[in-house]
Amino acid sequence: MSKFRKNDEKPAPGINTSSLPDIVFMLLFFFMVATTTKEQDPLVKIKSAKGNGLTDLTPFKQRGEVDFIYLGAPIKGDENKFDKGIAVQFDGIIAPNGIDYLKKWKVEKFENKSDDVTAPRENIITCFKADEKVPMGILFQARKILQDLNFNSIAYSAQEKGNKSEYNIREQ
Amino acid sequence: MAKRESPEINAGSMADIAFLLLIFFLVTTTMDKDTAYLRTIPKKVETDKPQPPVQKKNIYKIAINSRQVIQARDSIIPPNEIESLKKRIKHFYTVNRWKKSDRNIDYPYYSYGSIQLYNKNIEELEERVRKLDVSDNPDERTEKLIAQSQDAIGKWKEKLEKMKLYQKFSGKNEIPEIAYEAHIRLESFLDTDYSAYVAVQSEIQRAVTELRDEEAKEIFGITYTTMNNFYQQKKTEDTPKVRTYREYMDLIEVLFPLKLIEVEPKR
Repeated sequence: MSKFRKNDEKPAPGINTSSLPDIVFMLLFFFMVATTTKEQDPLVKIKSAKGNGLTDLTPFKQRGEVDFIYLGAPIKGDENKFDKGIAVQFDGIIAPNGIDYLKKWKVEKFENKSDDVTAPRENIITCFKADEKVPMGILFQARKILQDLNFNSIAYSAQEKGNKSEYNIREQ
Repeated sequence: MAKRESPEINAGSMADIAFLLLIFFLVTTTMDKDTAYLRTIPKKVETDKPQPPVQKKNIYKIAINSRQVIQARDSIIPPNEIESLKKRIKHFYTVNRWKKSDRNIDYPYYSYGSIQLYNKNIEELEERVRKLDVSDNPDERTEKLIAQSQDAIGKWKEKLEKMKLYQKFSGKNEIPEIAYEAHIRLESFLDTDYSAYVAVQSEIQRAVTELRDEEAKEIFGITYTTMNNFYQQKKTEDTPKVRTYREYMDLIEVLFPLKLIEVEPKR
């Protein structure tokens, strides 16, 4: 008689999955808390610039006080069609006339704001989400347009870089 | 009547539902927060009058050219030493602070306000208004002068309030004020990269925030950043705490103003 019985017909014990929903819900809640909703699907390639001491825009976003402009090379299509290869995305569209569309867009957007947004014109922030290689000239064109329309608050978007890493500056 | 057993609900599909929700959230959200440097564009001015020149010592000029070479005042800053900009800007702000003689002539001077001084100014202006206000139908010019004086009185009174707050918390009888014209001037080229521009903005922001934090910590025992975060979250609620923080922050912003002029590139 052997101590170890082989070829025993005992079935493998079933795994209890009753706590699986709990685990998944926990994950779900973690993601709900830790992430923010996407404003837009980007149509342009953006590698964000790095910086320290940034302001979190979340409280402004909650009050509907921020408009985002995306600048960078287009993901689809020929970048040579655009001035300096930089496409400008307003909400869901890439404007064919580039930054000049800003004027029309900004005014329309301000007029369509819901009534609970009480911030005056000069406090509505226009946030530039630009790729790190975007030339400053185009941003100053935008500044000029905004100044003429009395939208005086702007924001330069960047990501926190931490204390150890370096700024990613293209050396030439 | 026989007691009926309540049927058990099958929870087997609960996991599927939760997974579905989880995947939905994974797809529609992003991990990174939206963070940025807030700046203001100066108001449009109608006049073409040339602005009076600002003394060189009151300008801290930073230039970035189209090859991303950064120059601060007279020194070229290599890319791996950008972090030294913070130290330089802090130096620009603080080198003449609390100095009344033996000041560094290349950096902005400070003036020192006190309660007596502000009171004296207010009295003088009120005296002037009384003298101007004698006639019953003043001409246009006098009216304008009176309005100007009233404005000035308002401004001095604001300063007096800040001074009182400063004295109450710091115990000092004088408030140091940096020269009104002192500012940082950021010049760029049309082809300057956004990342280089943001790197310089970052250093400026860090320098000013650090100065403000240190000062606030010393006077109020709480950093400026903490107060500002709280204020931005609760701005719309009108609680005493929000108002006090706003008051404290106003004082700190007077002590270390962030005056940044971003010059439109010409080439």
